[in-house]
Amino acid sequence: MHTKRMPTLNRRRFLQSAAAAGLAVPLVGSRAWAQSKDPLKIGVTMPLTGSQAGYGNDFVIGMRQALKDLNDAGGIAGRPLELIVLDTQAEPSLGINAMNRLINVDKAPVILTAWSAVVKAQAPTANREKVLLLNTGANAPEIAHLGEFVYTLFPLADVDISALAKYTYDKLGKRKAAVLYINNDTGIDAAKVYKDVFEKTGGQVVAYEAYDPRATEFSGMLLKVRAASPDMVHVHGLLTDVPMVIAQMRQLGLQQRVSSYSAGYNQKLIDQLGPAAEDFIVTSLAPGADDNPNVPQFLERWKKEQNRHPNGLPYIQYQYDSVQTTAQLFKHVLEKKQEPTGETMRAALLAIKEFDSPLTGKTVVDGHRVRKPVFLLSVEKGQFKPLAKLD
Amino acid sequence: MEYILTIVVLIAIFVILSSSYNLVIGYGGLATVAHPIFYALGAYTSALLGIHFGLPAAICVLAGALVAVVASILLALSALRVAGDYLLIASLGFQLGLLQVIKNFEFTGGPGGISAIPNTITGPWRTPAYLLICGGIAALTVWLIARIVHGPYGRAITAMRDEELAFSALGRNAMTIKVVVFAIGCGIAGIAGGLYAFYFQYVSPDQFEVLHSAAMLTMVVLGGMGTTMGPVVGAVVLIAIPQAITFLNLPPAVMAPMQGIIFTTLVMLFLFLRPAGLVGPLSRDRMAGRTALEKSSGGVAE
Repeated sequence: MHTKRMPTLNRRRFLQSAAAAGLAVPLVGSRAWAQSKDPLKIGVTMPLTGSQAGYGNDFVIGMRQALKDLNDAGGIAGRPLELIVLDTQAEPSLGINAMNRLINVDKAPVILTAWSAVVKAQAPTANREKVLLLNTGANAPEIAHLGEFVYTLFPLADVDISALAKYTYDKLGKRKAAVLYINNDTGIDAAKVYKDVFEKTGGQVVAYEAYDPRATEFSGMLLKVRAASPDMVHVHGLLTDVPMVIAQMRQLGLQQRVSSYSAGYNQKLIDQLGPAAEDFIVTSLAPGADDNPNVPQFLERWKKEQNRHPNGLPYIQYQYDSVQTTAQLFKHVLEKKQEPTGETMRAALLAIKEFDSPLTGKTVVDGHRVRKPVFLLSVEKGQFKPLAKLD
Repeated sequence: MEYILTIVVLIAIFVILSSSYNLVIGYGGLATVAHPIFYALGAYTSALLGIHFGLPAAICVLAGALVAVVASILLALSALRVAGDYLLIASLGFQLGLLQVIKNFEFTGGPGGISAIPNTITGPWRTPAYLLICGGIAALTVWLIARIVHGPYGRAITAMRDEELAFSALGRNAMTIKVVVFAIGCGIAGIAGGLYAFYFQYVSPDQFEVLHSAAMLTMVVLGGMGTTMGPVVGAVVLIAIPQAITFLNLPPAVMAPMQGIIFTTLVMLFLFLRPAGLVGPLSRDRMAGRTALEKSSGGVAE
């Protein structure tokens, strides 16, 4: 009889302890927060795992370098800064969960985030809870319309893509373009911008094709492109798919010049494609080593600490600067003897407006957008070389 | 506190989902993986009605459930003629196909989803209010399903599941019972979708992918398929664990594989040690193990 009851008891006890453990862990976290109120908290939600982790982790490394520099210099008004980094896997629902934790447990007044779908998912929460949400790397034009607490420090696609489309028509003399884009937030809106601007300038978009984010085979789409015989191909995708598209283009005998945007500005792409990458054009929204003396220093330090090239250097320049900008917001708020909250931080952003960012140059916050110069680069002999600077 | 309440709201929504899924797959024996798509239909319908017509949330959620019911009947009428593995494939096709449709329409927000879903409850009581609503509906769902399956109709459902031929021989119509069970389960999933849309104010196709079918199935299997409380326990464990892990503040290199390892280990442990799930009784475990063995050896003999 006694032995028969044992399993029920054990199970119940197991469940009780499991539930208790689950509940106790968050409580420990919140108590720890109450005791050390000193650091100024910056919430960060980035993909640390999953397909976008290569970028996400490097973004965080860039942020931590800025954090170290700021804290080594004494922090803000004697208070150190602290980054609380949570994983989103670039997935909207995980982004919302992470955001809830940062707001309710860590009480972060400002959250740095990226990836268009994640920013969109987090926006309602930011507006409702009145927490400042700063986009540091996503570029969907829609981000400018997500509500009063959502701002961007990173130029949205309409900035660099319109500049690129205009340059392609005016300076490169191309008249017929094919636009291929990844069928998600990154691709859809940007492809539309490219098409609109290119056509408005006088060009013709002869092929306009979307591909699935998980696709690995593109010949069907590329055969259509070949039939349309464009003289320029713009591929708006990510580092995971753009090299595959270009490689398959060349295999099918499509020799047209290819352009992409800042996600393609990565040495890995050249390493993967070899000679097929020649003449490939990318945009960059951050100055390169020749344009800004801080950049070579940053790169040197990166290589020393990480022993490799960063994934998407221009993006990481923005990550470094985003922490610097956030620190300026804290400084402004504390100088005014205010408590850092989403509302005071937002007011600070709108009051300061112009930031002198160490790695990306002057940043002008223009409503829910930012203004930045656009840099074009092209691959020459296996290296990205500056092509043009467009203001 | 707010954070924990938010997690509890999420748990309540998943209790509704996994319980309704359990009704379909555990009690009804209908091997479908398309449950997330009915969740999606509920979420999208109520979100779109809320945005474009400004209807009260309750009506939007009910309309979402109705759309899920209609869609499930359409799928059931065509797909339930086939059973077993074929149903599995048909349901998978239905889910992937519909997701592609959602991803390619402009009014559904495409792959980016819908973000501007109106906030129906404002102020500091928002989350507690949602907790009350979602918790209440979750309790109601569990109670309703328990009522269904423990009554005479429930015996008919399980009889149909266990021996369809004998069941038909008794003069009962197996097809009707399948369609009804499927429609009830999917309609409840639609309600869960509506609640999710209004609470989180955001829906995107990514949230209803096949990966989420797997998560729902894990909840049901881990808790105990074909038991009333099993899916409840499964939902609590599978939502709470990943959240708890984030508090361990592990470096990403450790954190990254952690969740995958924990889930896989849990599923494997349960497969071997407690095939009937956490809530399923131990004695039935053995029986279940034995019948599974018999079935597999029978399969080999055939």
